[in-house]
Amino acid sequence: MSLCPRCQSANDQIRTEHKGLNAQGELVWTIFHCNACEFSWRDCEPAISIDYDTREAFFRIDPKKDYPVIMPPAQYK
Amino acid sequence: MNDDRKPLSAKAKEVGQRIGSLRDFLEFLEENGQCVTWSDEVYPEPDIRNVAVAAGRDANTGPAVIFSNIAGYPGKKLVLGVHGSFTNLALLLGHPKGTTIKELFYDIISRWGDDEPLLDFIEPEDAPVNQNRLTENFNLYELLPLYRINEYDGGFYIGKANVVSRDPRDPDNFGKQNVGIYRIQVQAPGEFTLLSVPAHDMGRHIMAAEADNVPLKISVMLGNHPAMCMFAATPVGYEESEFAYASQMMGSPLRLTKSGNGMDILADSEMVIEAELMNGVRTLEGPFGEFPGSYSGARRIPRFKITAISHRNDPIFENIYIGRGWTEHDTLIGLNTSAPIYAQLKKDFPEVVAVNALYQHGLTGIISVKNRFAGFAKSVAMRALGTPHGTMYLKNLIMVDDDVDPFDLNEVMWALSTRTRADDTIVIPNMPMIPIDPAAEIAGKGHRLIIDATSFMPPDKLGSDSKIVTPPAGPEIDEIAKVIQLLQNGGKS
Ligand SMILES: [Zn+2]
Repeated sequence: MSLCPRCQSANDQIRTEHKGLNAQGELVWTIFHCNACEFSWRDCEPAISIDYDTREAFFRIDPKKDYPVIMPPAQYK
Repeated sequence: MNDDRKPLSAKAKEVGQRIGSLRDFLEFLEENGQCVTWSDEVYPEPDIRNVAVAAGRDANTGPAVIFSNIAGYPGKKLVLGVHGSFTNLALLLGHPKGTTIKELFYDIISRWGDDEPLLDFIEPEDAPVNQNRLTENFNLYELLPLYRINEYDGGFYIGKANVVSRDPRDPDNFGKQNVGIYRIQVQAPGEFTLLSVPAHDMGRHIMAAEADNVPLKISVMLGNHPAMCMFAATPVGYEESEFAYASQMMGSPLRLTKSGNGMDILADSEMVIEAELMNGVRTLEGPFGEFPGSYSGARRIPRFKITAISHRNDPIFENIYIGRGWTEHDTLIGLNTSAPIYAQLKKDFPEVVAVNALYQHGLTGIISVKNRFAGFAKSVAMRALGTPHGTMYLKNLIMVDDDVDPFDLNEVMWALSTRTRADDTIVIPNMPMIPIDPAAEIAGKGHRLIIDATSFMPPDKLGSDSKIVTPPAGPEIDEIAKVIQLLQNGGKS
């Protein structure tokens, strides 16, 4: 696994979350999570979900951008 | 008080007594041809999404689908579409297949209330949900067959959880304990985000906990009694209990027990995840394909940490397909959205006959009302916009006469065609609106549209040729229609 499919963050931002095995204990797929943009994905998903170039640009995330905060935490007010 | 209250039929009582859990209901649906098992191997994506959408195409008769062979999840089961059709709801309420939506609406109205709750409390050690208990090393990715619901969702969502929380400022108050459905995105093996807004009961609980810097504990119930899900999605009053409403609708006791972190939970649910708010933490969540049929964008929202998990042996993960309608979301909440609007209007305007707010959580509503005098329907429409749900949701309102079934769109279109004058439409600009209305110019604000498609009343001048044909109608004709349907189906209903 190289870059995050959604924000293109590098390998050091990507966690391996879980490996799905079949009844014989063989690896079927792996789930990853990006620490920068919080995207989760499975490596066997269709390209439209997990390939950066196939995905619609509209759905890209820039982790450095300010996204709206739902119910800003009270102690920071 | 509910003036429409009627005693339950013998069949409704029998079904209420039989169904104590999701498992009971699935068995009952299966016996009635309304639950199928998909035993071919599916990949989590895109197969589950594809099957769910295909099964849910028919809002009237679509079955629930159990997935029993998911690649990478040997032995795990997932069920979708439990509330995916009006036939499934009819069976839950003790009606035969073929019951009309209008009949279901009046039945739900007749059961509406929380003044006669039927709740049994059992000890936690006797509760099936506690057959297995985990207190460390949580991994939701392993416990639940998780998958991406729509292709651009930001992650794996739990879309049909019933979340119990208590007011952190009044934790001993049973009524202020809230059960709601909030979208949950798994953010780590033992952590998740939960989307609520200040207007939700849960949002109030989150803000209170963070303001006072006290813990907010929640219990996330998965795979629940089918009546619970219907009321978790219903906006009942802040001091009213969803448990009470759900049990009263079924006319049969719901079994409750205490979760490890002090919430009242259903004793027969498939799984209960106990968790605690991570005070002050906000995590990027979304997008998520929401009920208006569009994605709601990425936001930073509250995050929770799991503290314990209880589950039955071989738990069944119940989830929902949600996206561009018609979907299970519409069937699940449609009648329970319509009923409280009806009840609130009826208090002031007994002329209101029925309310159809099935469409996209009531973004479009159709109200049938007997005009008292000219223009009366418009006054009723204004009152509907002022109901708790109407304030944020009722974007388009169509008012029809009492001789029009608001659940029959052919009749509604007839009323629009024959009874609407273009100057009988009203636009009220810049009103409050749920932020996820895709048509909004400014999220959180929007315009309201009222179309008065009721007929003329004095002192209005009658239209020319306005004398209406009265074709045969009523229970007798409804019965004949059912007989014809039976004949057409070769004797099978
Ligand atoms: Zn990323």
